[in-house]
Amino acid sequence: MKHYAKKITATAAGIATALALSGCAQLLPSLDIVGQQSVISFNEMLLAMPDQVRNGDSGTGWSLDAPDDAVRFNWGAASSDASQVYLQLEIDAAPFIAAGMDPAKLPDSHTYMTSGSDGEEMLLIGTTLTGDETLTTSTPKAFFEQLVRDHRDVVNFHTSLDHYGVKLGGGNMFEWARDLVVNRFDNSVQDKDIVFVLNPEPFIAAGADPENIEGWVYAEVTVEENGKPIEVWKLLKPFDVVS
Amino acid sequence: MTSHVIGIGNMTCAACAQRVERGIRKLEGITEVSVNLATERATVLFDDNVLTLQHVRDAVVSAGYEVIDINAENSAEDAKLRKEKETRTLQRKFIVSLVFSLPLFYIAMVPMLTKYGVSLPYPSGLDPMNFPLIYALTQFALVIPVIIVGFSFYTKGFFALLKRSPNMDSLIAIGTTSAVLFSLYNTVRILSGDFFAVESLYFETAGVIITLILLGKYLEAVSKGRTSEAIKKLMGLAPKTAIIIRDGRELEIPVEDLAINDLIVVKPGAKIPADGVVEEGRTTIDESMLTGESMPVDKVVGDKVYAASLNTTGSIRFRAEKIGADTALSQIIRLVEDAQSSKAPIAKLADTVSGYFVPVVCVIALVVGIAWYTGTGGDLAFSLTQFISVLVIACPCALGLATPTAIMVGTGKGAENGILIKGGEALETAHKIDMVVFDKTGTITEGKPTVTDILPEKGRTAKELLRLAGSAEMNSEHPLGQAIVRKAEAEGIILHNAESFLSLTGQGIAATLDGAQVLAGNRKFLLEQEVLLDPMSDISDHLADDGKTPIYIAVDGQLAGIIAVADVVKPSSRAAIETLRKMGVKVAMVTGDNQKTATAIAKQVQIEYVLADVLPQDKANEVKKLQADGHVVAMVGDGINDAPALAQADVGIAIGSGTDVAMESADIVLMRSDVADVATAIDLSKKTMINIRQNLFWAFAYNVIGIPVAAGLLYLFGGPLLNPMLAAAAMSLSSVSVLSNALRLQKYRAPHTERKGISR
Repeated sequence: MKHYAKKITATAAGIATALALSGCAQLLPSLDIVGQQSVISFNEMLLAMPDQVRNGDSGTGWSLDAPDDAVRFNWGAASSDASQVYLQLEIDAAPFIAAGMDPAKLPDSHTYMTSGSDGEEMLLIGTTLTGDETLTTSTPKAFFEQLVRDHRDVVNFHTSLDHYGVKLGGGNMFEWARDLVVNRFDNSVQDKDIVFVLNPEPFIAAGADPENIEGWVYAEVTVEENGKPIEVWKLLKPFDVVS
Repeated sequence: MTSHVIGIGNMTCAACAQRVERGIRKLEGITEVSVNLATERATVLFDDNVLTLQHVRDAVVSAGYEVIDINAENSAEDAKLRKEKETRTLQRKFIVSLVFSLPLFYIAMVPMLTKYGVSLPYPSGLDPMNFPLIYALTQFALVIPVIIVGFSFYTKGFFALLKRSPNMDSLIAIGTTSAVLFSLYNTVRILSGDFFAVESLYFETAGVIITLILLGKYLEAVSKGRTSEAIKKLMGLAPKTAIIIRDGRELEIPVEDLAINDLIVVKPGAKIPADGVVEEGRTTIDESMLTGESMPVDKVVGDKVYAASLNTTGSIRFRAEKIGADTALSQIIRLVEDAQSSKAPIAKLADTVSGYFVPVVCVIALVVGIAWYTGTGGDLAFSLTQFISVLVIACPCALGLATPTAIMVGTGKGAENGILIKGGEALETAHKIDMVVFDKTGTITEGKPTVTDILPEKGRTAKELLRLAGSAEMNSEHPLGQAIVRKAEAEGIILHNAESFLSLTGQGIAATLDGAQVLAGNRKFLLEQEVLLDPMSDISDHLADDGKTPIYIAVDGQLAGIIAVADVVKPSSRAAIETLRKMGVKVAMVTGDNQKTATAIAKQVQIEYVLADVLPQDKANEVKKLQADGHVVAMVGDGINDAPALAQADVGIAIGSGTDVAMESADIVLMRSDVADVATAIDLSKKTMINIRQNLFWAFAYNVIGIPVAAGLLYLFGGPLLNPMLAAAAMSLSSVSVLSNALRLQKYRAPHTERKGISR
């Protein structure tokens, strides 16, 4: 029995160590080096393009305009419930309609609307996250820091592009370069400082020809899902903000 | 000069054995030193006027190894216990190592597998892309216990390296330390924000290498234990207690407390606790454990009994003559132990290669690492991988085990078959034997005259003739006369004392029985006594032609008949010689007998070469002549007069029932005195040598193929690379395969020899 006790203890110790450490992302945030760095990097990215950053209308969120004004990344706390976080892309719908998209055929996750006096056609795509605590909205950095802490799984790192990303659900993302000058993965020049990424499937289903959506690149890219690289088609809008 | 056997601890590979050997040899006064990795013992012969054992001990310790015992009485028993403890420790270490290495391997490998489309459950908190630091630290935490259980690799390995004599542990220590240090460096890089360094972690390589090596070592220890199975069996034969008669009462005491001259009682079913002579009772004793002979032997007063043999039927009392370490069993154990510790010449080649192997491998690994680093434009991770792979796959432990394990099993198997092989050299030489020279008397023949024919004259019966001759010869000390008496007694004939008896040396005897004069002797003697022999002259000539000695018997001047006596051929001799011939071995017989008698015997057993009229002192010369003709000669004999020839022969084989001098001079002793075992000894030697060659082939092949693959030679031409973990598995496999191959010898069966054969 003594013999088995030792084996059992050793086995338990091994499993316990593995399990304990696997839970460290939550238990020991200080070890989450990607999460920590993503906050710094996000802030640096915003500082690099101050003219593109705006406070949201409700004062509880922010938005980052693409340099061509065709798309905007919005993030912040819902005005109705400060524990809810919204992460969304606000997209100019005109190129999609011009490419054959019928807005009526879009899924519920894609909100089509017109706004302003000139009836500007817009698409809203994104996700809402519910957290345990009220989000601080004092600065974009503080907000993002809390977002990483409470919803770490929406932030990821894309190795080959040396990009951080925020998952918006449905295969849509907003990505930015960790270093706006150099891609440290291959030490090449970083020419994709920010990238708006859309899943083309709903648009194709709604009648759009993905090859002909003006301002968007339809390309097959490698994405990593749980460390697993998969080849997928995406609609991309990359910008080299800092040359 | 004194010879000592020293138990050496902490040796792990052939390089270690070489190192100990070199360390001892350097001492002034050392004549001979041989270190055996498989038995973990050093046999040292030195001049005790120049050196003391303490000097030798110091040399072993300063080489980095441990002296376990010196000339231990129960070295085999101690070694057995030590081995069992070592096996248990290795098993525990392996289990602990496995417990931590499995999750480590899983955590490290699953993200890699997903790249190839294999998706296995994986904790998201360990995703290397998103949580690289946790991923790295988890692996580090898991590898620490593995390093702790494998710590001896580092202490021994780096110590040997510091002593500029790297061994197997050095290779493992350098390889795994490089892997861990490089991984720690990359962990620091991750900490500083260089997440890509997560792809250059090799914690699992170190963990899995140590685990696999521990597994290999564990299996090796288990296999090594099995190789000394024969010794264990022999040691297990001796009883633990003995019943002695003290103050008229039976008293059971431990065998260690036995004294010479103790009167020992052995009841049916009990084992004999000491060597001695029967004083009371008669019984049948199974001596198969000592001689390999399956037929139990009858024992009466005056017969010798041997420790560890089994008393089967009757109860006896015997006087102890040899106890403890002096018994025949202990001597056999020592003989087998010595043989297992000795080195065959072929082992020296392996030892020499191993001695240079490790340093050369270190250099090769370094060159490979630098070449890949330069060739890939500074890819440290890649070059380090190949560096570690070369170090790990090149361990020469299989090389070190190839010969001694086969010799251990071979000599052990010999002992099981009643064949005591005194050393590796004898075992190796025996496979080359192409000529076996048998001494005639006592080897091919029984060695004592036996009545073969009873031929009465008309009007008399065989029984009557035997009674007359037996009674007349009762007072004779002549071997031929005693043969007649034995025959008469065996036939149940009651003999009477002669009223008068006269022995005439070289002629015969004259005795008076019931008033009648009985003459028994050779032809010349009876003719001198004017006895008419003509009626049986022809018969007498025929007997002489067959190598038999006719003894004429006359009563009151009238021929009563002839009793023929001869030294008869052992029942198994003919079949044994036939087996040898089938094996392609030429057979010769050497004897001091005249050509006629020698030819007659040779004809019976179908020996083609007969060396007759050879004086005892010339037997060695005859062997020398055969050697000069290019033969590798084995001499088989039993007497003192055979000792020079046994020593002269390439392999001397003594019959176990023979004299101590013969057994001392021989390289191989046949315990059951059966010449059929000569063929078995040669066959066993051949099988062992084949086994050794196979082992050496595998040991070399692993390295010859493994090192270039590990160095990335195939990769240069578009082929695969060898992962360090696969290198560790291959390396462990090489040791295990060599040991498994050696263990196949345990299934050895002696070549079939008809043990009956002809008797006349």
